[in-house]
Amino acid sequence: MKQLLGVALGILTAIGGFLDIGDLVTSSVVGSRFGMTLVWVIVLGVIGICVFAQMSGRVAAISGRATFEIVRERLGARMAVANLGASFLINLLTLTAEIGGVALALQLASSIEPTLWVPVAAFAVWLVIWRVKFSIMENVTGLLGLCLIVFAVAVFLLQPDWATLTGQAIAPSVPATETGATYWYYAIALFGSAMTPYEVFFFSSGAVEEKWTKKDLTQSRINVLVGFPLGGILSIAIAACATIVLLPQGIQVTSLSQVALPVAEAGGKLAVAIVIVGMIAATFGATLETTLSSGYTIAQFFGWSWGKFRRPVKAARFHLVMIICLLVGIAVLATGADPVMITEYSVVFSAIALPLTYLPILLVANDKQYMGDLVNGRATNAVALVFLVIILVASLAAIPLMIITGAGA
Amino acid sequence: MTPHDDSLAPPDTYAGQVLDAQLHLLDRQVLDTDGVPVSTLDDLEITDLPLDVSLRGTPAPTIANLLTGVTLGTRIFGGRPPSSRLTRIPWRHVTDIGVVVTLGVSGERLDATWPERWVRDHIVAHIPGGRHDPE
Amino acid sequence: MILSDLLNRPVLDAEGRTLGKVLDARFVIDGAPTQLLAEARLAGLIVSPHTGTTFLGYERTDENSPWLIAAFLRWRHRGSFYVRWEDVEMLTERGVVLVAAYARRSAALSTSIGI
Repeated sequence: MKQLLGVALGILTAIGGFLDIGDLVTSSVVGSRFGMTLVWVIVLGVIGICVFAQMSGRVAAISGRATFEIVRERLGARMAVANLGASFLINLLTLTAEIGGVALALQLASSIEPTLWVPVAAFAVWLVIWRVKFSIMENVTGLLGLCLIVFAVAVFLLQPDWATLTGQAIAPSVPATETGATYWYYAIALFGSAMTPYEVFFFSSGAVEEKWTKKDLTQSRINVLVGFPLGGILSIAIAACATIVLLPQGIQVTSLSQVALPVAEAGGKLAVAIVIVGMIAATFGATLETTLSSGYTIAQFFGWSWGKFRRPVKAARFHLVMIICLLVGIAVLATGADPVMITEYSVVFSAIALPLTYLPILLVANDKQYMGDLVNGRATNAVALVFLVIILVASLAAIPLMIITGAGA
Repeated sequence: MTPHDDSLAPPDTYAGQVLDAQLHLLDRQVLDTDGVPVSTLDDLEITDLPLDVSLRGTPAPTIANLLTGVTLGTRIFGGRPPSSRLTRIPWRHVTDIGVVVTLGVSGERLDATWPERWVRDHIVAHIPGGRHDPE
Repeated sequence: MILSDLLNRPVLDAEGRTLGKVLDARFVIDGAPTQLLAEARLAGLIVSPHTGTTFLGYERTDENSPWLIAAFLRWRHRGSFYVRWEDVEMLTERGVVLVAAYARRSAALSTSIGI
């Protein structure tokens, strides 16, 4: 019984923790402009993150090595420092977007200016990182994040024309109002938001934080293989909501209130209240994850002591890095930069940095010195290689498409 | 060409543990005797060899120190730190080399960890709650 | 001296022809015992005619998966070989000079060793 509860908790946390500001905004933007025609990208991205998150978790559980230690070791100092620079900056961008997201969600709840919420949110994040145990932090934000299921409920309440919706999803084509270039630009953004590198930095470091061993592998596999796809379904539900409500009215998504608008139409005030709780939890959880990831990447590259399982004085530089990153995030948002815009850029830049992160994981997952008998099987390798090619293409196409489309305008 | 190319003499085998520097040593994590991270292994210092002199009959150099700190910068961006600036961990402290390099001493007393100690003593220890376990 | 001074240096034969670059340095722990671990002596150098950057050691092991990547890296390092330290004549500003009668050996690492 206790075991079953543990499995259920793990899955629920994975679902609730899957969505972040990137998924919320990108799915909604895409739904409002392209309908369901890009849903296949969400499916692809979810499969990809399942494959690599699971792999990085397995490597961490067996060898005790987290992802960025592996990046450093396999790519060597020079290429790893290039990867560190890119990953760290993108992570900082994502971190900034997530804090902004928390502030926007709190604004929906309170109608107090988001700029006033930013320092409060950042301080709360720091406090949790400084004082709260890893597992509690993960479970609370994950479970509250489940409130976003309202999006899925809303799709049914809105009584859409199912045939059109599924038709768009199954036989996608570029809508007449959009160009091929913007279609592919948003495809990459959506892919980047599903496969953001911080997720594997966080996932593998979390495995070390929670001292996973071989025994925990089944649990982790279930969490990933059940939780992430269900999280992906929520992502699709957000896109569907936007397709049903925002697309026909020609509403552009420029803030979180538009993301929540379809839910308001479907379920009224109560539904909105639940969605706001879900948004706060999801963005707050993601802020924790990105803040920790900034500490993980730097500390693991330089070989410093890291981890929340240690007291802050036992991982001093790790904690200092996170404090600095939060301060930078606050400073950027204080200039009045739009968190939704920052989010849109962060997911595309994520796509660019993907190959250098995922290649080393794949290589180490095949290395017997690290993995013993638990190296990748042929099927996993085949799927991973296909994804590596897709990731590489997306990464190379991102910048040109960004220029051609004027960042998706 | 595969490792089993016929035109090459068969590979040497040795009684002891074989370590290819790039493959098994460089960029690996160094842990102290309690499993606490000390640094990464950024470079190695080997016993000195004379330049422009026949080395026949000279005994092979051995690893004297693991290096960290400034030497990472020069490895990435080029250049060469003066010998006095190198942060060394003597080879005699090493107890095991596997996925990580393990030392037989506590990291507390090594030069390689002074920045960690500085940040701890001057910043982190002064913030309330920094000395306690998370709850 | 620092190991990175040795890595990536040109390798020349006795007549001064370039054979490639130092790809890696192979150490063996079988030297004089010290307190904890025996000394690690430089046993030889791995030389690659095509590239000075090692990548993951696929050229030295039987590691064969993922196949595509293994094949690519083997191709990048085709022709790499191992020379014993005894076959090194001297170090000069130009690089590592080998003795006239040096032998090209397989750079393969037996997978069971070195772990």
